[in-house]
Amino acid sequence: MFSIGELFGWLTNPENWTGRYGLANLFLEHLALTLVTLAMAGLVAIPIGIAIGHSGRGETLVIAISSASRAIPTMGLMFALVMLMGVEFREFAVALALISIAIPPILAGAYAGIKSIPIVIREGARAQGMTPWQQIRHVGLPLSASSMVGGFKIAYLQVVSTVVLAPLVGLGGLGFGVIQGLALRDFAQLKGSALIIVLLSILGERILTRAQTRLDRRLTHSSEDR
Amino acid sequence: MEWVAKNFEFVLGLSLTHIWISLVPLIIGSILAFVLARLSPQQFAGTIGTTFSAIYAIPSLAIFVALPALIGTSYLGPTNVVIALSVYVAASMFFSTRDSFSQVPAPALFIARAQGLSPLQLFIHVELPLAIPGLIAGLRVAAASTVSMASIGAIVGVRNLGYLFLDGFQRKIPEEILTGLVAIFVIGITMDIALWALGKALTPWTRKTAQRV
Amino acid sequence: MKKTIKSTIALSAIAILGLAGCAESNGDPLVIGSQAYYSNEIVAEVYAQVLEDAGYSVDRQFALGQRDVYVPALLAGEVDLFPEYTGNLLQYFDPSATATAEEEVYRALQAALPAGLTALTLSGASDQDSFNVTSDFAMKNNLTSIADLAGVSGIRLGGAPELAERPYGPTGLLSSYGVTVEFEATGDTTVESLVAGLIDMANVYSADPRIQQLGLVTLTDPEGLFLSSNLVPIASDAVDSKARDLISAVSSAMTAADLVALNVRSVDEQLSSSVIARDWLVSKGLVG
Repeated sequence: MFSIGELFGWLTNPENWTGRYGLANLFLEHLALTLVTLAMAGLVAIPIGIAIGHSGRGETLVIAISSASRAIPTMGLMFALVMLMGVEFREFAVALALISIAIPPILAGAYAGIKSIPIVIREGARAQGMTPWQQIRHVGLPLSASSMVGGFKIAYLQVVSTVVLAPLVGLGGLGFGVIQGLALRDFAQLKGSALIIVLLSILGERILTRAQTRLDRRLTHSSEDR
Repeated sequence: MEWVAKNFEFVLGLSLTHIWISLVPLIIGSILAFVLARLSPQQFAGTIGTTFSAIYAIPSLAIFVALPALIGTSYLGPTNVVIALSVYVAASMFFSTRDSFSQVPAPALFIARAQGLSPLQLFIHVELPLAIPGLIAGLRVAAASTVSMASIGAIVGVRNLGYLFLDGFQRKIPEEILTGLVAIFVIGITMDIALWALGKALTPWTRKTAQRV
Repeated sequence: MKKTIKSTIALSAIAILGLAGCAESNGDPLVIGSQAYYSNEIVAEVYAQVLEDAGYSVDRQFALGQRDVYVPALLAGEVDLFPEYTGNLLQYFDPSATATAEEEVYRALQAALPAGLTALTLSGASDQDSFNVTSDFAMKNNLTSIADLAGVSGIRLGGAPELAERPYGPTGLLSSYGVTVEFEATGDTTVESLVAGLIDMANVYSADPRIQQLGLVTLTDPEGLFLSSNLVPIASDAVDSKARDLISAVSSAMTAADLVALNVRSVDEQLSSSVIARDWLVSKGLVG
């Protein structure tokens, strides 16, 4: 059906890297969209997660949102929002869809992270006279960092996956090569694009996992592997 | 909604296909995960774990299009999607399975062995029951993810509820897209509840404990 | 594995929906395919119902995707019958084809089809790629044909992602008309993007009801960039002569106006292809 040689040839052909639909631009689009989404989702989800983890109020909501969000198909959400807001606003609609997809795992990570801090430590910080902000900065964040990074990791993978589908609503991103490759039966393009997507996802996953491991180690000062 | 009323049979047919396309991978993937988590030699555990983490990171559409080249299936037909989803389930269940069994308290195993139970009896009467809560939890996550991920199979021609998204967007019929969302969500939640109930049924001792508190 | 799943689904569907079983015919069911295009699916459904009505058992494999995916399936015998478009299919098998008129294209297609596939009766219903602009844009730039675009700069062309590589896409525009365009892969958002002004020119299928509904101007094509393209059933050798006659009758009965009307029913009345197909067949007296 196809050969490694063709794949390699396609990947090393500079024509496939230049232009609006060249791999370089698509890669940057994909990465930019992902990072912006994660930042915005984090801005919303982390404060809420910390608040709920600390006060215990709204716990059931967090758990419900977490479970429910896994059952929502990302492709459907994206299409629905684009249709709702109109094609002219599709960039905004897709961004909204992506942020909605990223919030639940980040929220869950922040919540679980704070919740897992022993109550004595949290109370201890308050007893020492730390302001809420100081409590978060010196106790909450450091101790829950690993869990939060874990939440970001899940969100990162979900968002990267969904951006792959963006060409279906007329946007860019690395999925373009997959969609066009499927239509043209250009296997080199298809597999080449899929490969770059795979590399982007695995790279992100490895980086975030390593960050998580490092944070765990710092916490426990142990040299055991996770 | 009018659209649903006019197209009810059609949606029902798609739903059935969707349920099948989700259930088969759940079963195959769980079995595969179990075999690998329990029966693989210790030295491979790390490699298998890393490989599965990597696979799980890959977007489903990328796997759907890359798999045919690796194993020779065709795009057409559900085989490709079922295999890909099974691998996803296996990846996700591998970690839950491994952790569920490692959480079984050592004293319980020790006592059981001291009582003279054979390894098989040990597994069936002690390990498995104690691991069930963790296994069910992992299965619930896998089920919800699989049901929603299966919809992406529509892009490679599988005739499931994901088709409602593609066709609804092409013809600009919002109700069609909404129907797909609701149907998939309902199927996912139903499976979740069913698994939760199964977990409760299989672990009667937890119920008794809860009552006492 | 695939067959088991399929037959189990079929059995469960029949049991649960309480449908009367389809009349059993001799041998394997005929596999009818369609593109991931609602209009094409309606025609495929028409073929399916006509055959089922005559006692054949039919397996629907709809939304298979692009030509590049399903033609190999047709050649391999995995699909037996497919509603196609003469011009586009001719270009697929013979990229250097020079025929442009309707009859010419049909005869060229018959010659170009590989062994094992036959083009049945040509339909009067045409549905082909066409470049469209909004009426405002046409008036502002004095456009009636694609050639008039030569005077306009910075044209953004929108269409499906694969248009970038098609012979009638940007490369064809440049070589046949000397027109340079910037391509935007708008996919299913093409018409809306055109109306919203995000693109200047859109590739819209000629039978799309929105061309008339939105008052879009289809630019004429004097250089024959687009081959004339009409609906035509493509059948493999597995389709017997009785089935071929039935399908050919359906094909001749469908006019261009019919096709647009079917599309309107799908998009405006939002009916499923099976309902639309049934109604049309009944109205033409093609089913009992």
